[in-house]
Amino acid sequence: MTNEGGGLVVSARPTRDWSRFHTARTLLKSYGIVSAFVVLCVSLSFVSNYFLEIGNILDVLRQTSINGILAIGMTFVILTRGIDLSVGSLAAFSGIVGASLATSSSVAGVPGSPYFAPAAILVGILSTTMIGSISGGVVSCFRIPPFVVTLGMLSIARGLTLLYSGGLPIPRLTPSFRWIGTGDIAGIPVPIFVLLVVFVLSWWTLSRTRFGRYVYATGGNPRAATTSGINVSRIRLLVYVISGATAGLAGIILAARTGSGLPQAGISYELDAIAAVVIGGTSLSGGIGSVTGTLFGALIIGVMNNGLDLLGVDSNYQQIFKGLMIVGAVMLDSTRRSDDH
Amino acid sequence: MKLKLAFFATAMTCMVFSGVAEAKPVKIGVSLYGLKAEFMQLWAAAAKNSPAVKNGTAEVTVLDGRYDALVQQSQIETMINQHYDAIIFAPIDADAAAAAVEEASKAHIPVIGTNTRANTDLLTSYVGSDDVKSGYLEAKAVLDKIGCKGNVVIIEGPIGISAQVQRSEGNKKALAECPDVKVLAMKTANWSRAEAQTLMEDWLTRFRGRINGVIGQNDEMALGAIEAIKAADLKVSDFAIGGIDGITDALLAVKAGEMTSILQDANAQAQGSIDVAIRQVDGPSYKPQSAIWAQYPQMPWDGGTAKNYNVPWTPVTPENVDALLKVREQK
Repeated sequence: MTNEGGGLVVSARPTRDWSRFHTARTLLKSYGIVSAFVVLCVSLSFVSNYFLEIGNILDVLRQTSINGILAIGMTFVILTRGIDLSVGSLAAFSGIVGASLATSSSVAGVPGSPYFAPAAILVGILSTTMIGSISGGVVSCFRIPPFVVTLGMLSIARGLTLLYSGGLPIPRLTPSFRWIGTGDIAGIPVPIFVLLVVFVLSWWTLSRTRFGRYVYATGGNPRAATTSGINVSRIRLLVYVISGATAGLAGIILAARTGSGLPQAGISYELDAIAAVVIGGTSLSGGIGSVTGTLFGALIIGVMNNGLDLLGVDSNYQQIFKGLMIVGAVMLDSTRRSDDH
Repeated sequence: MKLKLAFFATAMTCMVFSGVAEAKPVKIGVSLYGLKAEFMQLWAAAAKNSPAVKNGTAEVTVLDGRYDALVQQSQIETMINQHYDAIIFAPIDADAAAAAVEEASKAHIPVIGTNTRANTDLLTSYVGSDDVKSGYLEAKAVLDKIGCKGNVVIIEGPIGISAQVQRSEGNKKALAECPDVKVLAMKTANWSRAEAQTLMEDWLTRFRGRINGVIGQNDEMALGAIEAIKAADLKVSDFAIGGIDGITDALLAVKAGEMTSILQDANAQAQGSIDVAIRQVDGPSYKPQSAIWAQYPQMPWDGGTAKNYNVPWTPVTPENVDALLKVREQK
């Protein structure tokens, strides 16, 4: 940790105190986001009769699930002061890879498709996990800024997607593959369950495991972290692996929902993921934030999109509102943090 | 006494309900694949100017699909939840569209396809133009100009959208009639003028001096190709360039003799879809309000329940281009 003069101070506080201080701060940010979310929902329920209908609520949650999953993975990366601009392209890639193994079209798929749906899904996720590890490797070993590495990977992954698919969509995916996007369990759409599982796993990892602490430390103060014996390079590599995996999962759900692997899918999705993370209170300079905040950030974006669609507002205004929210969230974040000093 | 009461109650109920039915406009949701380029803007404007919207018979909400199949699917799900009476859909991807149409069909909401097709039988109706025909006509115009021999390049629309698939089919049919013509390259520029310009610049370098004809699957891309030719200091008149849609800039280019084009009537597609959609909701008593039905006697109303309404193409020629420009200016 740094003191006021910017000098390096190794914390003399016991670990327990640090975690409570940390949790309190995170909760403050989370509650701020939660109240913003509640206010948004209440206003929309007045404006549109259909907003609170169970069908609409489930739809909003389902529509938020893809961005939510991307954003949760992105949270890990941003917590380490990194960024992953390639997640949109990775989502398209995993969608295409999964689709190629799960299509009943003999022309579009790999020979022998359709294969067992869970296998197709797993291969899709693994493909982007591997790409994520490459990005992470370059960031951690060659010390090239994550922005640059993942920007390059954005193009590379998109190119790979177009190459692998021949630029063509892969239609006619099997119902068993599509279940992960269109099915439901006890009336609740499967993507919502997937989002919940990803959220719970990530929350537990970040707040209850040593790895999670190391992630915060790597972003909060890399030098102190290294001095404390944390393998910062390895942490930096692993968060991109996580981001690649979540992007892969999101891409599979995307392909399953639309019923086709689309090589042009996921364009600019990384921006929505980053927006969710930032609105959720995670700082771009690392070390502060939570997946709870990210989840609510994603929900706010999803609810806002849904609400504006319900009101029939021009799509362009949605873009403007989203931009204003991002800036507003960062401004709020910086004033809150300066208050702490 | 009881009979009189029952009759009175029924009469009152009928009056109230008919009053309600008359006062409540038909809620129509439209998901267009994208609003970035002029043609879809013309469609959206024509929808707003349709007589049914102007007199309150229908309330039309146009949403921009942003060239993203998932965004369009989400928009349609929202329309289903909002209990829209009917949906008009121009999908970016013909196959991915089937999923959205299925959901609407399960909710018993009629879906009218327009401009681009969805690969599903569940569409209530389709109001659009035959893209195989326009693909054939535009390629034929280019091939005729180069005398059925030489080399051409084809600039395609977004891969997977029905217009690209069908116009390519039409292009190929025309090319089959000219076996001496070679296709040097075929690539997508995603309906974008800027992308097509870049693509054409690269082709002009790669195939220096060998390109005789350019088949652009829409006007925007053909215009991009023209810009590239001008930027390379070549003469546009040395090339045979074809486009489809009849957007304003293309009409001007046809007037200047730079290209050929085939007008796609966005007005007829938009107002036709709206009339067909209202018919689905209001029943056989609905009389179509748009002027387009009189304008195109070869496309009869047919009670408003036909599966397919084929909006005719209008080839743009030096003779009719001024009249077409005038109509465009009035809108």
